[in-house]
Amino acid sequence: MWTTILLLFLSIVLGTGAWLLFVWAVKSDQYDDVEGQKHRILEDDE
Amino acid sequence: MRGNVASCDHCDLLIGPGPAIREEIGGREAVFCCPGCRSVHALLVSEGLDGFYARRRGWTPGPPSVPPLDPETFAAAAREAGADREIDLTISGIRCASCVWVIERHLGKKRGVRYARVNYTTHRGKIRWDPTQTDAGTIAGWIAELGYAPSPGETTGMEETLARQKTDLLLRLGTAAFLSSQIMMVTAGLYAGYFQGIEQQTRTLFHLVALGLATPVLFYSGYPFLRNTVAGFRNRAPGMDTLVFLGSFSAYAYSVAMIFSGGEVYFDTTAMIITLILLGRYLEVTAKGRAAETIARLFRLVPAQARRVRNGGGGTLSVVETVPVSSIREGDIVEIIPGERIPADGVVAEGESEADESLLTGEACPVDKAPGSRVFTGTVNGSGRLRFAVTGTGRDTALSRIIRAVEEAQARRSPVQSLADRVVGYFVPAVLLVSLLTLGSRLLAGHPAVPAFLASISVLVVACPCALGLATPLAVFVGSSAAQSRGILVKGADALERGAKVDAVFLDKTGTLTRGMPRLTDVVGFALPRDDVLAIAASLESPSEHALAKAIRREGSGGKIRDVTQFRAHPGMGVEGTVGGRRFLLGRRTFLQDREVAVQEEEEEIARALSEEGKTVVWLSDGKSPLGILAATDTLRPESPECVRSLIGEGYAVAMVTGDGEAVSARIAGEAGIGTVLSALTPPEKTEAVRRARSGGSVVLMVGDGINDAPALTEADVGLAMGRGTDIALESADAVLMRDDLRLVPRFLAISKQTMRVIRQNLFWAFSYNVVAIPLAVSGRLHPIASAALMAASSLVVVGNSLRLRKEAV
Repeated sequence: MWTTILLLFLSIVLGTGAWLLFVWAVKSDQYDDVEGQKHRILEDDE
Repeated sequence: MRGNVASCDHCDLLIGPGPAIREEIGGREAVFCCPGCRSVHALLVSEGLDGFYARRRGWTPGPPSVPPLDPETFAAAAREAGADREIDLTISGIRCASCVWVIERHLGKKRGVRYARVNYTTHRGKIRWDPTQTDAGTIAGWIAELGYAPSPGETTGMEETLARQKTDLLLRLGTAAFLSSQIMMVTAGLYAGYFQGIEQQTRTLFHLVALGLATPVLFYSGYPFLRNTVAGFRNRAPGMDTLVFLGSFSAYAYSVAMIFSGGEVYFDTTAMIITLILLGRYLEVTAKGRAAETIARLFRLVPAQARRVRNGGGGTLSVVETVPVSSIREGDIVEIIPGERIPADGVVAEGESEADESLLTGEACPVDKAPGSRVFTGTVNGSGRLRFAVTGTGRDTALSRIIRAVEEAQARRSPVQSLADRVVGYFVPAVLLVSLLTLGSRLLAGHPAVPAFLASISVLVVACPCALGLATPLAVFVGSSAAQSRGILVKGADALERGAKVDAVFLDKTGTLTRGMPRLTDVVGFALPRDDVLAIAASLESPSEHALAKAIRREGSGGKIRDVTQFRAHPGMGVEGTVGGRRFLLGRRTFLQDREVAVQEEEEEIARALSEEGKTVVWLSDGKSPLGILAATDTLRPESPECVRSLIGEGYAVAMVTGDGEAVSARIAGEAGIGTVLSALTPPEKTEAVRRARSGGSVVLMVGDGINDAPALTEADVGLAMGRGTDIALESADAVLMRDDLRLVPRFLAISKQTMRVIRQNLFWAFSYNVVAIPLAVSGRLHPIASAALMAASSLVVVGNSLRLRKEAV
């Protein structure tokens, strides 16, 4: 029983972490330019 | 020249004797300032393109000049961002990701710039800086010194609304997707428990967790559906949203009741319905955002600056000053250099050139400009320098009138009620009625309240829109991917649905029925045989990039092409050059007149007959008498007659709409086999023609490619754009032909019809499930697992039936 509760709790905590990351990404305009990024990775950062 | 200061043969910059590179090219010593110029020159010569040097009139040596920027407009557009200041700029000239990279890097290295980010898709930059160290005008200057043109970015209202809508939907969708995945895990445990047995305690725990996860999905992610449901009831017009919300809400309410009475829960159903439908909505908003972006970009085609001529035109010395376009007034004289975009509408006062108006008309062939001819905002000047009197700027130009027409047509276009929406309009009240009757009849029969209530909710749950909700979108999805694999890009779900009802097809002429570029049709020899006229003309035109020159070259490439020397192009008039030791002229009638070539009456007669057929006529001469004439015209695509034949054969009314004159239109229509011709139409008249046909009861498909077709494409029930059409035409259309092949038009209509057939079958199957399940639920005899199995089966039938489209579609 306790293992179940622990695992449920863990999965929800991890999921919430991912969700918060997603909300942060949307709010900070990370999804505004999904086209440019694939080109950007090819550029050398010095 | 040796030992002295010389100028580079390629870029014309002055160079000292030291660094100059000297080389023999074509029996003459050429001087270059750098290896770069030498290799470009060598490339041009080896490709026979040295006509470039003859054509660059009115060109000043050195790097391209960027018009000075007005620092105040930039300062006014900046805003506070904490202690820093921030500005949104629209940067034109961005062509690839490297442009983005170089701008960001260049600004990033400057003192005071805190943040510089350029959006590759929208060409917008956001720059933040420390106001104590630099200012907006300086930053704009840094961008300009790289060769890009910054302008204060203005967003249109439509864009902003869409961007907000998109962010909002993305948050709701992301949240729903995350919570649904968690619910799925819990539900998997519950399913296993159903078959293998599960402790009561664990089961309740899982139920409560699922409840906690499903609640935000229903009320946060599902809020738009809730809102529309309320609005739908208020207007007595329940739609798809009502069904979605009712389905998910009833599953939710039923499950909550079951937690306490020990039955099965359906929180997964609640969450999945909302997640899937939100995903569809999000994709739709993204597509709409692209359309708004294109329109906004069109506005940005208008250059930000113009060169105004003071005291111009007269004998006195004129002064040219660079001013923002917004300060240009009607009646001002504006100068444009070769290759520049025209900043305002006007009438040419001085100079000769040609303009590429393909943006407006879809016609690839540049239009000649001489004093008196009209020029249009956004079109590109050819190789001559022009001065023109402004007749309209800003919102009062041909370009912005067309853009406004598209926006108006978009706003006017009421969303078509889809078949699924109509069906739902009857279905929802019916289900609600049955549910209430179940509750009422049980209470009247003396049943206890709780089971009576549960039975009535279970009616709502089994009527869940799974199969019904999938019936249309799935068929449309498979139908559009079938269309795509055949070369038709279908943009909206409703395009296929409306395509099935089309009974009238309107075709644009230039660029749609025809190729949109001239082809040589006639060669007449006077003093020389036909073939020689063609060969000399093709040789003369070999350095030229004019669309007519290309037509002549293509036709004459079979003959003997000789080198042309001492080539000179006279924009808007013709070309001259020496071929095989003889001097030749090739150009229009006035060009020959200027050179005092004696033209005979019968020669004149032949030329006149050809131009009356709508053909462009050029004369070949040796400077004394005409040697022959060549005529070119826009010709029909080879597949056009076949397309028209098959459309008429299937019972569609076919009409041609065009801005061109009657004579030319009638000839093309005759060749294509079209009986109904509407000629000499302005873009608003084209739209009007479509609207008239629609109010007469026709469902209209419009096929076009130019900006001038865009309003009509939007106005029509279904707009179909040619793949090589202008951006705005592509975005206004509901579907795009990815290959320039008109035979795709009947094919699109056939796929539409087939898709509609499958949608009807799907709705039938989805309903047949309800016909079995609802009576069982009413009687209270539906076992939950049987219900789940039935739901899955009905969904599978719908999926399978839709997939048939992929194989069978024409």
